Amino acid sequence: MSDPRYADRTSRPKTVERTIAVCFTVSLLSTVGFAATYWQTGPDMLLGVFFAMIFLGMGVGVIAWGKYLMPQGPFVEERHPLTTTEEDKQEFAEAFGRGADSIKRRKLLGKLFVAVNGVFAIALIIPLRSLLGAKTPGSELYHTNFGKGTRLVTVNGEPVTLAALDVGGAQTVFPEGYVGSATGQTILIRPQTTPLVTKPGRETWSPAGYLAFSKVCTHAGCPVGLYLQEFKELLCPCHQSVFDVSTGATQVFGPAPRPLPQLPLAVNSQGYLVSQHDYDEPIGPGFWSRGALWNGHNS
Amino acid sequence: MKKAIIPILIVVGVVLFGSAGAFAFNVTQLPPSQSTPGESFTYPSLSLSSSSITQGKVLFDENCASCHGVEANGATGLAPPLLGVGPATIDFWVSTGRMPLEQSAIQPNVHPDRFTRSQTLDIVKYVSSLDARAGPPIPVVNTKRGNLAQGANIFALNCAGCHVITGVGDALADSTFAPSLALANPTLIGEAVRTGPGNMPIFDTTQITPAQLNSLARYVTYLTKRPQDAGGAGLGHVGPVAEGFVALFFGVGILMLVAYWIGDRTPDPRIEEHNE
Amino acid sequence: MNLSAPDFGHEVRFGMDTIANMGVFRVRKMDRVNVSTRREDGQEPRFESHERTYEPRVSPSSANSNKAIAAVPRWVDDRLTLAKGGKTFLNKIFPDHWSFMLGEISLYSFIILLATGVYLTFFFVPSGHMVLYHGPYKPLWGQHVSEAYMSTVNLSLDTRFGLLMRQMHHWAADIFIAAAVVHMCRVFFTGAFRRPREINWMIGLTLMLLAIVNGFLGYSIPDDLVSGTGLRIAFSIFESIPIVGNWLGYAVFGGPYPGNGDVIFRFYIAHVLILPLLILGLIGAHMGMMVYQKHTQFPGPGRTNKNVVGAPMFPTFMAKTTGYFFVIVGVIALMGALFQINPIWLYGQYIPYKVSYAVQPDWYMGWLDGALRIMPSWELHLPGHMIPNVFFPAVLFPGLTFNILYAWPFIERKFSKAPDIEHHLLDRPRDNPKRTGLGVGVLTFYFMLFGASSTDVLANMFHVSLNTVLWFFRFAVFIVPVIVGFAAFQLAHEMKEGPQDLGKRKRHNIVVRSAQGGYSTIPVEGRPGDGHGEPEPEVLNPEVLHPEVLHPEVLGEPLHADLPL
Repeated sequence: MSDPRYADRTSRPKTVERTIAVCFTVSLLSTVGFAATYWQTGPDMLLGVFFAMIFLGMGVGVIAWGKYLMPQGPFVEERHPLTTTEEDKQEFAEAFGRGADSIKRRKLLGKLFVAVNGVFAIALIIPLRSLLGAKTPGSELYHTNFGKGTRLVTVNGEPVTLAALDVGGAQTVFPEGYVGSATGQTILIRPQTTPLVTKPGRETWSPAGYLAFSKVCTHAGCPVGLYLQEFKELLCPCHQSVFDVSTGATQVFGPAPRPLPQLPLAVNSQGYLVSQHDYDEPIGPGFWSRGALWNGHNS
Repeated sequence: MKKAIIPILIVVGVVLFGSAGAFAFNVTQLPPSQSTPGESFTYPSLSLSSSSITQGKVLFDENCASCHGVEANGATGLAPPLLGVGPATIDFWVSTGRMPLEQSAIQPNVHPDRFTRSQTLDIVKYVSSLDARAGPPIPVVNTKRGNLAQGANIFALNCAGCHVITGVGDALADSTFAPSLALANPTLIGEAVRTGPGNMPIFDTTQITPAQLNSLARYVTYLTKRPQDAGGAGLGHVGPVAEGFVALFFGVGILMLVAYWIGDRTPDPRIEEHNE
Repeated sequence: MNLSAPDFGHEVRFGMDTIANMGVFRVRKMDRVNVSTRREDGQEPRFESHERTYEPRVSPSSANSNKAIAAVPRWVDDRLTLAKGGKTFLNKIFPDHWSFMLGEISLYSFIILLATGVYLTFFFVPSGHMVLYHGPYKPLWGQHVSEAYMSTVNLSLDTRFGLLMRQMHHWAADIFIAAAVVHMCRVFFTGAFRRPREINWMIGLTLMLLAIVNGFLGYSIPDDLVSGTGLRIAFSIFESIPIVGNWLGYAVFGGPYPGNGDVIFRFYIAHVLILPLLILGLIGAHMGMMVYQKHTQFPGPGRTNKNVVGAPMFPTFMAKTTGYFFVIVGVIALMGALFQINPIWLYGQYIPYKVSYAVQPDWYMGWLDGALRIMPSWELHLPGHMIPNVFFPAVLFPGLTFNILYAWPFIERKFSKAPDIEHHLLDRPRDNPKRTGLGVGVLTFYFMLFGASSTDVLANMFHVSLNTVLWFFRFAVFIVPVIVGFAAFQLAHEMKEGPQDLGKRKRHNIVVRSAQGGYSTIPVEGRPGDGHGEPEPEVLNPEVLHPEVLHPEVLGEPLHADLPL
């Protein structure tokens, strides 16, 4: 009897051989099809399918070859233990001690060397400072470009009048001169035609029922672009925080930890909607020093 | 050996099936360079002139009056008054089959049309005749005059937040849903934009001008009727979630099956051998 | 196919179907029916034992061709003296078990990523510079888009093969990380991370971490609406880190959000150069260490803690693995051709005030997104300072996750009662029900978080309230893993205690009807791999055995000491 460890792992080597040959032929034909498709500017998807079939035919054939027509063993290999002799360990420790001794003996030099390395690391960090660009974290974290009497403008830069929205309407607005501003983006909504006092102290903030809230979610900063006019709720598309407009965009559902800041609105003498002053608090998600530098209104 | 052939046949079959699929895809999908889809859309007649108020009253009394009242002035807690809401609102709710309400739900479901187009317009004409105040009329939307790029821009700014950038719709808070736009036609798009059905905000003509509305309707039609799925099956256009499932269960799944074919299992050491 | 019974005077034939339909015996199709060893006196069948002698492998007829083949290695050795190493290499043993192939999916996906990625760099412009779109996609005509976005759209729609390459790249990335997770599960549930492989476990984890980060970078650089929203969240996560948060965010983005546009290029260079180099280096270390320490193996006949049993590198494993590589390329190419992934032309350019609903990250970030979603609306206020909400699910939680995973081999060591020896024989999941139960529970936890990252899509699909779905996940994320983990523990426990051949591949039987009409079954001769009558392994690379340095206290007594073959 022949050695079964080297025997074909099939009783029908001929059939397997033929099947493998078919696979390889599929691969070859696919190459032709691939070239033809490319030449005839066929659809890219067909190109991809032929491309895939080149590899699949080849792969299946080669695997079958390896699995059925090659020695399967079992073969065994001894494992070498992942340890060394006691002597080696001793010598390794000695070699290490040789250096450690001479370093230990010069205490002052050793300490200085450590200090130099520390300073060196700082020196490496300093160039990274340039990554910040022109700005270091500062006032822009706390303020937007809304100020006293800043007109609200649409995405096209047109100032917004009291006729801008029907009841139930919503529109994205920006401080004039800063269209597209990531921090100044504000959602203007109109739940009713009469002033809507969302919180005590905000009696004058909603002329003709217009309300404006920062569009930057207080959770992770996504634009809160979804206004449910019947429920008078704003919904953040990223993590589904829900804000109740009529109580000052307080968070009523989801992970957002704070209400959306409300922009105090007024109507100027030309009839345009303007901000009374900047947002009362930093807009957007929290950060470490959010409460530190903030001191009241920005005029 | 039979065992060898079966997996090979399976894989070869998958390959052939795949290529057949590719042909099928190719047949059903127009190359992008050919005529822009959405341009040749026919939209329903908007003419109310030929509609009959008397016919509308019959339909209204049969289907609507039980909730909205014979006078169409609504019932508190049951149905809103319809006086002065305008033809666009009535047409939107009736022609999408959301009204008459089938069952009490927070958000009515879309139903295939229960009324013919002319019946719907009869109802619209009758209800509009009840009040002198003129609500938004049925907008005339002409997608041929629209500009795709302008429409795409407006869609991304105003619509994608709820309806998803691919127009497939999604769930909003408290059992409400932004519906898929797949069924929308230009007139319906216009009506929805102008009247803000349900929780949808209202966009009036200062915010989205009639010309912009044409563009928007053209883009939405383009996006939903013939999205340019150049890369193959669209996987529902819901983004990375569907893609992740395909990668995990189709991609890695198939590759694990192949690994199972390539490899073996190790004999159990605790089984007594059957040798003599 | 018909079976012929041994000669009992009559010949009784059964159709295969007849036997299968009897339903009593598990009969599988047989390739060879060898009952010739049955004794004529009708006693129990006798099977050949392993102590048989085999004919020499090389028959005289093939000696000449072998001589010609042998000239090649000889020629190489004469110049490079590779004989010794080459022999060891070609003789390296790979265990046959299928689960050892899972890591290869990752490895080969990475090769595909490199190849397709290089192709993409020929067309992609890593720039946040805004230009007016011109190209084949009409809805973008005249829109302001970044060069990164425009080049990605154009390489997708206007470059032959470009979209296929891009989709293959993206699918390969998804599969790369998915297969890494599956591979990691195999390593975890079989205890392959134990001494001496703790370092390789940690390298593997680092690879996973780098792959996830690099996946996110690659997902971000096309600058489309969906990925841009992800970038916005990433900035918020940077910002949430105490003390250095803002500085970190500014440094990455080049200023306050959305930065000065450099972020595209910075992510690009990290995506195509820095991280791939790190990953490549660590893959080298990962595999080098595996070669040096040799494979683990499942216990079985002849498999001890001191050897590796399987098939040699050349030619058997080489053929299988090469074929597998081709199949992986083929499957990923097929997916790239048939399934659309990340159609950014439909999404449009990212603008900070535009947003789409149903925005999710790629699946491997899903667990983080899910954690962000189910987090209650808390944040920590300190005098003058605060720790924002996102810090807990997006910084603290992944930090804990990876630290615990890094420390796991040492944690388990501390609580394990097993001797502190080298473990080269694997546990089957049932052998260690506690580990299995815990692992399944933790895996379920992360899978539930992945589910929570698509609350809106699920709510829409099943038409239930979004709020209900979120509340469901807020509880289910913690409850379901406990139930599933306990079930897994119980199952493993009972399999361990239960019948010995539970889950065992059945041995083929032949049903024989005697002339008198009675039935009997005869187990067929074993074949390699099914664990019955396996031939005695041939020893390869014998000289690596150094009996003088064998340390029984390290290798220990094998769990299943040389079983009788």
